[in-house]
Amino acid sequence: MDTSAVPAQVRDGDAVLEVDSISTRFGQSVVHDDVSFRVRRGEVVALIGGSGTGKSVLLKEIIGLKRPTAGRIRLLDTYVWDASREDMNILRRRFGMLFQDGALFSSLTVAENIAVPFHEHTDLPAELIAPLVGFKLALVGLPPETGSKMPAELSGGMRKRVALARALALEPEILFLDEPTSGLDPIGARAFDSMVRVLSDSLGLTVFIVTHDLDTLHSIIDRVIVLSGGKIIADGPVDTVMKMENPWIREYFAARASA
Amino acid sequence: MNTVARWIQHEVEDGASVLYLNGVWRLSNLTAISDALRSLGLCICERFVLDGSRLQELDTAAGFTLYRHLAGIGCTESMVSVRGFDSRHERLLALVHQRMTCPPAAARSMHLGAVRRIGASAINVWRLLKSHNAFIGSVALDLLALFRQPRLFRFKETVSQFETICLDAVPIAGLVTFLIGVVIAYLLGLQALRYGANIFVVDGVGLAVCRELSPILVAVIVAGRSGAAFTAQIGTMKVQEEIDAISTLGLSPLQVLVIPRLVAIMIALPLLVFVGDVMGILGGMTVAAWQLDISTMTFIDRLHSVLPMSAFNVGLMKAPVFAAFIAMIGCRMGMLVARDARSVGINTTSTVVQSVVWVIILDALFAVVFERLDI
Repeated sequence: MDTSAVPAQVRDGDAVLEVDSISTRFGQSVVHDDVSFRVRRGEVVALIGGSGTGKSVLLKEIIGLKRPTAGRIRLLDTYVWDASREDMNILRRRFGMLFQDGALFSSLTVAENIAVPFHEHTDLPAELIAPLVGFKLALVGLPPETGSKMPAELSGGMRKRVALARALALEPEILFLDEPTSGLDPIGARAFDSMVRVLSDSLGLTVFIVTHDLDTLHSIIDRVIVLSGGKIIADGPVDTVMKMENPWIREYFAARASA
Repeated sequence: MNTVARWIQHEVEDGASVLYLNGVWRLSNLTAISDALRSLGLCICERFVLDGSRLQELDTAAGFTLYRHLAGIGCTESMVSVRGFDSRHERLLALVHQRMTCPPAAARSMHLGAVRRIGASAINVWRLLKSHNAFIGSVALDLLALFRQPRLFRFKETVSQFETICLDAVPIAGLVTFLIGVVIAYLLGLQALRYGANIFVVDGVGLAVCRELSPILVAVIVAGRSGAAFTAQIGTMKVQEEIDAISTLGLSPLQVLVIPRLVAIMIALPLLVFVGDVMGILGGMTVAAWQLDISTMTFIDRLHSVLPMSAFNVGLMKAPVFAAFIAMIGCRMGMLVARDARSVGINTTSTVVQSVVWVIILDALFAVVFERLDI
């Protein structure tokens, strides 16, 4: 593991996410074997790895949807799997999650989808929520008339933007994105990337992305974590990781160079 | 004034209105911040300066509310300047300002008036009936093709459908018809006892259960169980583009999905109705023995002499017709599912409603027809 790339002056208190020796097993098959890493406030970090290496499983373990077999996860100073129900509910308001296909509620309009977190977790009056919803739409670059549409009427890129607006509703400190650019055309994907970067720079957001998209890695990522064979095989800036002598990493980055 | 000063202070310096933002400007305090802004009673003036030197935290929702309030009293971009913010908050305010030019959306789901809703549903029902018709036609054509090439018939799929439609439904169909037999015999018995006509309860139970109750109840149960399952299965396949995949492989979705279900349910329903007949009569027999002093032997003997074979046949004959309607409606509604989870739910509900309504309409038609034919 290459840790030389991580600046030495990082203080412990800066870590918003600490994954500490996580192991995951499904029956006999080992998905994660002693995985550890940390993410500091304001970083944009990507997790990459081949299909079936348990990236999405790891993400689910971090946000409290699936219990790891062993190990601890500390997210925003809360131990995810030791926290009480109340603590978890408070924690859930402090991070946003963008699911792979958006996971918009299909029976609600776009505006109602974005309003759900406001209605459930704040006591704001309706006349304050409506303009806020419009603003969140504008924040992710969607025109206001999108608000009255149903999710089924949207294109893939628009669904992801709406889902991002919903994830951003409660002003999260950390944002998890599960393959945000998969299924988008290259133009839409780059637009999405730059939007994420602008938001993270302006709002001081920490962003944790599970991705396969090499262009995303090259354009907006501060640091990349490589998961392979159940272990972290690299952790550092994209340029450093690219040059590492590991067959899988070389093949992964070569896939683009030859394309 | 104190509560206002907690969030914002307004001072006039060199002819400019300076707003000192105070404390934690976050979503959780938004109601108070919004109230504070309003009670400040700002009116439009030459220059506004936003001072962030006393600000602890700021998020987009609070920044947006501030700018929206300023825009609401008529401020334009050139009239507002910022000072003393830390760089992160300044970037955030700049982003908010840049993005908020779009007017806010507050659109909700559309609700039609009563008259328009009635009109729209009438048109929908008409369209649905028309498309059902076309569907029946294409299923018939595919069936015809099967007669020419019988090896295309999916025997395995049909058998597995038969298992879930018929065998798995035996307990529930048996239970419901047994209880109905009990109820009918009990209510008839209460009346018959007054006239000492206990034995006629056997006539009533036999006729009611075999001719009407068992076919209808079993058809309703199967519509709820299997009709709904057809729509949900096929609808989910449609959402995941499996139906398109079947077509692309050169197979006919009707032959792969619809015909096995149609055949299975048309065989299953008469069998279930027979189970229902037996269980209903058993229910009647139980009550007769307990309540009305009619021994099991007497009951069977009487049933043998008074229950016409035609009543039993009529009940069984209706079943395949009900079954065909349930299968066609269930499969058709599955095929009509749009590409989202909500429409699977809507169509499944619609399948059950349509199937039950059709079963009852058909039963009424049968009653009239058999009456005319003297059966």
